Amino acid sequence: MRFKISLAQINPFLGDLEKNLVKHLEFTEKAIVEGSKVVVFPELSLTGYTLRDLTHEVALEADSDFFKPLKEISKNIDIVLGFVEKGEDKITYNSSMYLSKGEIKLVYRKMYPPTHGMFEELRFFGRGNSYKSLATDYGKVSVIICRDFFHPTLLSLAYLDNVDFVFAISNMPLRGLKGEKPQIQETVETASSTYTNFFGFFVVYVNRVGFDDGLGFYGGSFIQSPIGKKIVSAELFEETIVTGTVDTDDIYKKRISFPLIKEEDRLLFVKNVNRVVGGLDD
Amino acid sequence: MIDLTLNYALVKKFIVKFIEEEVKSNKFDHALLGISGGIDSALVASLAVDALGKENVFGILLPYKLSSKESIEDGLKVVENLGIKYEIIDITEIAEPYLTKEKIGDKFRIGNFLARIRMSIIFDKAREFDAIVLGTSNKSEIMLGYTTWYGDMAAGIYPIGDLYKTQVFGLSKHVGVPESIIAKKPSADLWPGQTDEGEIGTPYSEIDQILYLYLEERKTKEEIVELGFKKEDVENVLKRMFATQFKRTFPPVCKISQRTFGHDFLYPHDIFK
Repeated sequence: MRFKISLAQINPFLGDLEKNLVKHLEFTEKAIVEGSKVVVFPELSLTGYTLRDLTHEVALEADSDFFKPLKEISKNIDIVLGFVEKGEDKITYNSSMYLSKGEIKLVYRKMYPPTHGMFEELRFFGRGNSYKSLATDYGKVSVIICRDFFHPTLLSLAYLDNVDFVFAISNMPLRGLKGEKPQIQETVETASSTYTNFFGFFVVYVNRVGFDDGLGFYGGSFIQSPIGKKIVSAELFEETIVTGTVDTDDIYKKRISFPLIKEEDRLLFVKNVNRVVGGLDD
Repeated sequence: MIDLTLNYALVKKFIVKFIEEEVKSNKFDHALLGISGGIDSALVASLAVDALGKENVFGILLPYKLSSKESIEDGLKVVENLGIKYEIIDITEIAEPYLTKEKIGDKFRIGNFLARIRMSIIFDKAREFDAIVLGTSNKSEIMLGYTTWYGDMAAGIYPIGDLYKTQVFGLSKHVGVPESIIAKKPSADLWPGQTDEGEIGTPYSEIDQILYLYLEERKTKEEIVELGFKKEDVENVLKRMFATQFKRTFPPVCKISQRTFGHDFLYPHDIFK
């Protein structure tokens, strides 16, 4: 199946839900005009990143009326976005949402909120504890968030779950400007090349741009096919929308030539995980 | 020697974006900075012009009777080359009554006093022009604390605050800062013959290597010495860095209430973005 995906590499307004909602609708309209079936926004796209004490002020329950306009427009296109979720358990989460056909189909809570150096997410967010995926019209998808992407354990779940697309939505601050590309971009792209190659799914990586309190987010969003090809890449530092055409047949082709999933023994894996983490007696 | 060279084309693009965005999110259209004739302010002025347009950047030259002639000439070169609006305010008449009355001979006191007089004028002029103040401190001097607290450190944003002096030179060449400014020895120009390296006691080439190894590569003091750096240079750099930690942090607030700025009133700086 061939279809178009748009990457909305936006620079959100910090802590301003209304302005960001307008921006989401504008970019979604652009994606519809492009003929895309899915539009993907970055992590915390509705709020911005360095919220600190604003976190709780911009938190939304997943069933909030705030999402009505987005649900409405999702009748024409699937939408992936990021928001601060006010959980039913009274805990605030850094969450992603997949909207389709006028409904919220999936809410995923970031499992690995980084808390070290410049990152202080666990000060403000709870930790998600469930990997999730969703069957869509375009294949099975999982939506993970920023630091999650650097945890191969989580990506392994997506692989064992046999997904077609991993949407990795991100607020990745720039660090390292020695080489041709920002060092952190090299890290992300190396990870993506590894995952697409060995796990045989598409990676759709969407990073924001702009600055929050001196942290600059580099952009550089891309789609990478399991056959290794970068289908589309967005430029550095610029707010933009880029659209690429994916062909899900690439997944099948990859898995014919490199049939790792066919050879996989899930139960053996589980057994060994349990042994390594001490779940079973040796 | 570690090559500290950066991809200056990307660095320039990134800092220009930073200035553009931070000025806006601080609710300003204009920026203002002190132009000393040195490389840091020349570089920041050039980047600010790229970000905001020359009509939105103001330079203030603040010479003192002991300032070198080159400083004023180079400062004028900067503002004239960039085509920005500027003013020259000689601070001698402002500083002198106090310095004379108090009979201050200690050059450090004089230097700090002059830096804070300049800060006062810069902030007044920023108010007049409705502009944000651009800091011109670089990473080397910030990390060494080779700055005047509430003097030249006082600013709204630090565009080159994460660039080592070595990288300031590299980026300055890239953006076309006048050669005479790049070529001269870095100096605070607070008294005749003063140079940064003479005063600090270690050349920037060494300072930057030591800082880089310690900060970026997390090497210990002993490991840096083992790499061939002089023990006294390493100790000098690290001692200065930790002795001046107070300049890089918010003054401790004695917490009494439930919610206190500096402790647990944790709103972002860019709240209007």
